[in-house]
Amino acid sequence: MQCVITIELGTNGVRVFAFDLDGRVIGSMKGYHPTFHTEPDYSEQDPEQIFITTLYLLKNLLNEYIHPKKYKVASICFCASMHSVLAVDKNGNPLGHAITWADNRARREAQELRGSALGKSLYTATGTPIHPMSPLLKITWIRLHDKERFALAAKFLSIKSYIIHQFTGEYMVDYSIASATGLLNIHDITWEKDALKYAGITPDRLPDLAPVFTSAGRLKKAFQQSLSLPADTKILIGSSDGCLATLGDGVLGEGKATITIEDSGAVRVMGPTVLKDEQMRFFNYLLTENCYVSGGPTNNGGNIFDWFTRQFGDFSHPYDIESSMQLLIEEASKVPAGSDGLLFLPYLLGERAPIWNADARGAYFGLNIKHERQHFVRATIEGILYEMYSIGKILGEQRDIKSLSVNGTFGVLPFWTQMMADMFNRPVRTRQKSHSVSFGAFLLSATEMGIYKSLDDAARTVELPDVYRPDKQHHAVYSDYFSIFEKLSTRLSEEFEAISTLQRKHAITQPSLIPIKN
Amino acid sequence: MTTEALLEERHMNQIELQHGRSAELHLFPHIPEVGIKKNGSIQLNTFLTTTTEVLRIYCIMEGRFEWRIDRQSYVLYPGDTALILPGASLGSDNSVLDIGTFAWIHIGIQKQENGRIQPGKWSGLSESEGAAIGKVLLLTSSPVLPRFSEAGKTIKCICTELFGQEIGYQARVNHQVDELLIQVTRHMTKQGHSGRDFPKTFMHLEEVLRRNLSHQWTVEEMAALAGMGTTLFNERVKSYSGFSPINYLINIRISEAIRLLKQPEISVTDIALDTGFYSSQHFSTTFKKLTGYRPSEFRKNHLRNK
Repeated sequence: MQCVITIELGTNGVRVFAFDLDGRVIGSMKGYHPTFHTEPDYSEQDPEQIFITTLYLLKNLLNEYIHPKKYKVASICFCASMHSVLAVDKNGNPLGHAITWADNRARREAQELRGSALGKSLYTATGTPIHPMSPLLKITWIRLHDKERFALAAKFLSIKSYIIHQFTGEYMVDYSIASATGLLNIHDITWEKDALKYAGITPDRLPDLAPVFTSAGRLKKAFQQSLSLPADTKILIGSSDGCLATLGDGVLGEGKATITIEDSGAVRVMGPTVLKDEQMRFFNYLLTENCYVSGGPTNNGGNIFDWFTRQFGDFSHPYDIESSMQLLIEEASKVPAGSDGLLFLPYLLGERAPIWNADARGAYFGLNIKHERQHFVRATIEGILYEMYSIGKILGEQRDIKSLSVNGTFGVLPFWTQMMADMFNRPVRTRQKSHSVSFGAFLLSATEMGIYKSLDDAARTVELPDVYRPDKQHHAVYSDYFSIFEKLSTRLSEEFEAISTLQRKHAITQPSLIPIKN
Repeated sequence: MTTEALLEERHMNQIELQHGRSAELHLFPHIPEVGIKKNGSIQLNTFLTTTTEVLRIYCIMEGRFEWRIDRQSYVLYPGDTALILPGASLGSDNSVLDIGTFAWIHIGIQKQENGRIQPGKWSGLSESEGAAIGKVLLLTSSPVLPRFSEAGKTIKCICTELFGQEIGYQARVNHQVDELLIQVTRHMTKQGHSGRDFPKTFMHLEEVLRRNLSHQWTVEEMAALAGMGTTLFNERVKSYSGFSPINYLINIRISEAIRLLKQPEISVTDIALDTGFYSSQHFSTTFKKLTGYRPSEFRKNHLRNK
């Protein structure tokens, strides 16, 4: 019997899955590794710890689920978060920690470039929004502010490229991860000259470009032995978490969109053309040569509900945070849709799509004397999801969205899924055991093996068993309140800037432990 | 008799017992000093700066004191408890003693050759629990524990027992000293870490582990740092990180070792000890088991271009 293993290098940790060739999960494991915030804007991870975590999980997964049942590993496929940068010296040894997508140190550089004509043309060419998350701006920041590291850096890798290099010795980056660097021309799939010039690097300081189906070299001897894997075990370079979550939900083809809500979130569509936008609100990333995953990302997803729970949840019993969240959701369900007119703007971490305003801040609006504690709970969840809807709404201007799927830890909470069906007024499909990213990686591997003729074919086989149908009355209520939510989000921009300027001015500088995302 | 009544009866503003001078402490060589002081007026040249080899605990009951602990200035208010580690200094500018009341005790805990501290044979704590408490005490980031008046109450109890000398008092005094050490340790680790924020607790633990990677951590010590019992701690770490505490620690050790192996100037033996392995053999076995390479092979592969 053959099996496929997927390795997901995520924001908070590593997840490994083993699938049989029908796509059923044989086993899975996850391991946490920390993010360091040595300065308020910094967000870094230890590449060696990510590697060791990966190795440990892979070894245990093999020993527990694969070798005892005599499965043959057909391939190991990688997927990873986008936008990370790791500088390595000529020996391939890391120069400092990896800088993750959530890092904001290039805030000033991003602001300048976004307002320029060059910024506009780079966005159109690369599909990556001009934002501190973009490796284009991170490398620029290193060149300007960390000259020693810039000079010593033989290559600028992504975390995934580094991990693959440890396993096989190759320096490679797949199209998807590359298309999220702000350095790749997504139309002709070559490094974009103007972007390289802006960053101040030549193409030899980047890993080799490779389609997502590429075999990324041979597993080093030592690992063949320690993992008991044959030399011909295929190491598939794979894709990014965003692209694979979209594929894993079967969102290929007309009329489909997918909503991801983890700590942060995104609404995505997939198709043969890019989304064009004068206001540079969407991303366009590459899955394959003629397949783009497009959409808008938000900073404020489940992490906002997590924040709310920590502040106002019930911790009087030794509950863990999940049970405290569940209790809050039960409270919220006692309040009618629309929270009797209490609105919440969820911009606690500033916002990306659709308003792209790093200074945006949160607010409760419309409070009257009848509102009670549970209204705040419901309004908070509604605010987070209005924000998802606002991204979906502008996507809807370019694509006709007929059906939706939802994934991510928070997205698949039934109360949340139903609310999204009501807001979008569309049926929403989901699967309770959410592992869309890894399942997408499985579909990719299976396509590479010839089990499916194409990714299109693979996507068509995806079945999401749970369907949530919209409630017309709730939809009407949400639509009414959403128009005020939308107005507040843009009208308050002057006040957002004023308050965040004051917040910075009066802040007592203190390294933070919680991720600060734009 | 209560301590207040005792003070009343003796028409004294203070109780001050010293081993060697006070008969009450004859049976307690591990308590060099204990007392309660009520100071009615500002006194010059009475609170001299001293450094001792014992653990000193001072608990403010009334008034406001400006003290220097290990050369840092602190203002202490009622309910604050100061913890002065062996070798650290305590005093005040111009040796002034401010107006107010405080209780204190000196505990002669053993400092071992490796620099660790541990309660002596008088203690009812098991060896591993005693070691864990010693480790947590040494890692204290601030010597002042705010809102911790329990310490003062326990010191009062110890005084009462010492004066009363009722049946079983010797056991009770020792018991109360243990109690005090337990209270201090639990209080220190509970500060700011409620169940509300395990990620924060875990991050704090991670930082401490990384700063003290050469230490041979036990699960008891890690759990004490996180302010939890070992069973709950194991469970929480496993569900949060996917690893058992020891495996998580080993992963940090190997990660750090990999980083160091890529720098040619540190010897493999030093790396082993710096990252908390008890021998280079132990390091080599663990490293090879996980990475497939012996440390020396790994180093050779990564320095080939130099």
